[in-house]
Amino acid sequence: MLKIRAIKIEVNTSNGLFGAEYQFESGLNIIRGNNSTGKSSLFQSILYGLGFEELLGARNEKTMQAVLKDQVEYPKGTLNDVIQSFVYLEIENKETVTIKRSVISQIRKPQLVDVFFGAHLTEPNKSYESKPMYIHDSGGASNELYGFHLFLANFLEWNLPEVVTTTGDLNKLYIQQVAPSFIKEQKSGWSDFMATMPYYGIRNTSARVLEFILNLDVFENEKRKQHIKIQKQVFNNKWSNHVSQLNKLAERSGGTLSGISETPQIINNFNNIFIQVIKDDSAISLNEYNNLQKLELEGLEKYPTGNVGSKVLGNEVFLNELNQKLNQLSLNHNLLSPELNFDKERLKQYEKQLLAVHEDLKKNKGALKVKTLGASLPSEVAFDHCPTCHQDLKDSLLPTDIEQNPMRIEDNIAFLDAQERMIQIFTEGQRKSIKDKEKQLSSYQLQLSEVRQQIRAIQQELISDERLPSVLEIEKRLNLKKRVEFFNKITEDFYLLIEELKLLSKEYEVLLRKEKNLPKDFFSLEDKNKLSNLEAYFIYLLREFNYQSKVFDNITISKESYLPVINKTLPNGFEKQYDIIFDSSASDFIRCIWAYSTALLNTSVHHNSNHPKLLIFDEPKQQDIAMEDFKKFLAELSKYEEQQVLVFASFENSDESFKASTEGLKFHLNQIQEKLIRPI
Amino acid sequence: MEDVRIKNLSFTKRPISIPADYRPMYKIAKIVLILKNCCRSECSDLLKSHLFSWALKSQRNMDKLKEYVTNNFTTEFSVWGIEPALNRALQFAVAEKICELVDGKKYQLTEKGNKFFDLINKDDELFVEEKAFLKFIGKNKITDKRLQTMSKQWSLSYA
Repeated sequence: MLKIRAIKIEVNTSNGLFGAEYQFESGLNIIRGNNSTGKSSLFQSILYGLGFEELLGARNEKTMQAVLKDQVEYPKGTLNDVIQSFVYLEIENKETVTIKRSVISQIRKPQLVDVFFGAHLTEPNKSYESKPMYIHDSGGASNELYGFHLFLANFLEWNLPEVVTTTGDLNKLYIQQVAPSFIKEQKSGWSDFMATMPYYGIRNTSARVLEFILNLDVFENEKRKQHIKIQKQVFNNKWSNHVSQLNKLAERSGGTLSGISETPQIINNFNNIFIQVIKDDSAISLNEYNNLQKLELEGLEKYPTGNVGSKVLGNEVFLNELNQKLNQLSLNHNLLSPELNFDKERLKQYEKQLLAVHEDLKKNKGALKVKTLGASLPSEVAFDHCPTCHQDLKDSLLPTDIEQNPMRIEDNIAFLDAQERMIQIFTEGQRKSIKDKEKQLSSYQLQLSEVRQQIRAIQQELISDERLPSVLEIEKRLNLKKRVEFFNKITEDFYLLIEELKLLSKEYEVLLRKEKNLPKDFFSLEDKNKLSNLEAYFIYLLREFNYQSKVFDNITISKESYLPVINKTLPNGFEKQYDIIFDSSASDFIRCIWAYSTALLNTSVHHNSNHPKLLIFDEPKQQDIAMEDFKKFLAELSKYEEQQVLVFASFENSDESFKASTEGLKFHLNQIQEKLIRPI
Repeated sequence: MEDVRIKNLSFTKRPISIPADYRPMYKIAKIVLILKNCCRSECSDLLKSHLFSWALKSQRNMDKLKEYVTNNFTTEFSVWGIEPALNRALQFAVAEKICELVDGKKYQLTEKGNKFFDLINKDDELFVEEKAFLKFIGKNKITDKRLQTMSKQWSLSYA
């Protein structure tokens, strides 16, 4: 728990030292002061000491009242310039520490705080070790040695949870964001349940804060879910990187990758993944292809290289085969080439059409707009009436004696839209087909030049000296050898990648299993207990405080935001939930905030959750709520004797009101006389 | 396959898609833009309206007229289109009191027409290219006299 033990404000002015010092006890503390005595300055100083001044709307000294940074008016009518000012705050959890923070100082920035490890205010005669820390600057919440808010979280034994930010990163919840659940500021704190929460790009912050305050297990589950989601994203990247590496390898070997997709999957049989190459118009795997080449090489190497004469016969047969192949290839090439040109021409036409339809669509949309503009003019034509005879008009400028039935503009737009989509699909298909054909064509060209080269070589050999060794055969052997080596290397690399892929597949399997094992119902039994406790106590308090806007049966605590909502059954039988703020009168909404803040404390006390067991209210009697109801609120607060509640109130500046609303209650009173800041 | 019984066949006439230019309101809007942007005292005769209406039909036409103007009226500029649809739209516009007939031959924008212009002009997504083109032409580039020479040349070379 967090207990505020004492606060001290020191203001050095041009006319000497001013200041104030107050001590607080466990249980209900009422800080009473008439309007403009400095009640809010005291409240704000507590927030400032904790580094929570963002609840007031900004950071550092600008949030503080003039009395701490500009001028002190004392006695009335005399202004004293502030030279230097400090706030000291003594807080207790298991140990006691004192925080010292400057508001105005020549030598110390407000981001800098000193932490004394002891009761510097209530036992000032002892000396304590101290340590400088800083607030708000980057690292203020995370730096282990010097970050004050990290220190404060550790001091409260809070393990602030990680939450998902709007950018998808994990980030720790900030301690300043938790504060609005137990501190209500006067100006805007009463406008919503968590009105003064600073924004740091964290999703659904208030729900996350309440989960933390109530220590719900759902938090852990939610975090695990988000964590897995992010892991999956990272994994997807890894996977597609890997696949693209495989693809590159396949491309280098002149083949295509088969048996694996860009999206992750669990693979059971890795033999189905291979590089596919084309040999003699049929697809085989790179491995098989290489084996065939190896066999051929072995066959060749069995015999010594022959000379030209011994090869003549074989060469002639081979030449014949090659010539035939050449014919076939050039035929294929000649057939495909005009086809490709034709396709390209068609694509051009499609593109033209697409442009025309697009233009037309734009005009039609314009026409629809103009028609609505005309209708507001008003103009009869825009309503399809003739301006002269007021008869129905077809929305067209074609001569009336032509039998015609034009579409309505809306239909026309839909029609053109469909056309545009259709042509788009055509164009895409056409582009793909062109790309395929171009690839095919270039492969024909490559083969053609290879075959021609071979024919030239054979022809050369056929007319050379018969006693010479066959150059052709030597070349063939060398080439084959090189290719076998190249493919061996590719295969080797390929299997290395496949081994890694096996690991990836395993990892994916684990990930999917983890996802599967996430609990369906996120709330644990304990969570449900806490929420029903919260709801019951909230409603009990509403009754107690005389809330009247709604039937109590319809009020529940939302399972999503953990805030009170109104259940409504719609005429069609569906249930709908409304924020209670929309359905309550202004004063009843204040009662809601009283009840909710107190119910949170109550639930946390019973279940010993993360709530700091501290409530601070600045002027809770808002909107002219009746004194009796306010007294009931104070009576409820006075029950928490083990915890601490600070209430700053003016009691309508009258002793009678004060007496009426506190009579018979047990509390500790701090009264601000005349002015908060006075000479000391 | 069963015999097709011709007698039993029937046809339903479906609505047809027509170009936006044939929508009365759309055409009237163009007339308003032309009168406001390109005509002195927002008043124009039939031939001039036809010239601009023809130009606004496509980007190509606009480019052509623009080129003619920027080349100081020296390039060849042949026939522009005359379309009955514009005449019908003008009739509607007069009946709607968006413009009125002056001296029996000129069309002038009325107060209601000006109001319509304001509505169209305020919308930044409507007639973007058209507005830019008409602004470029302005009120002084193509005068009645210029129009006369243009149409004279036309009758000389084509009649």
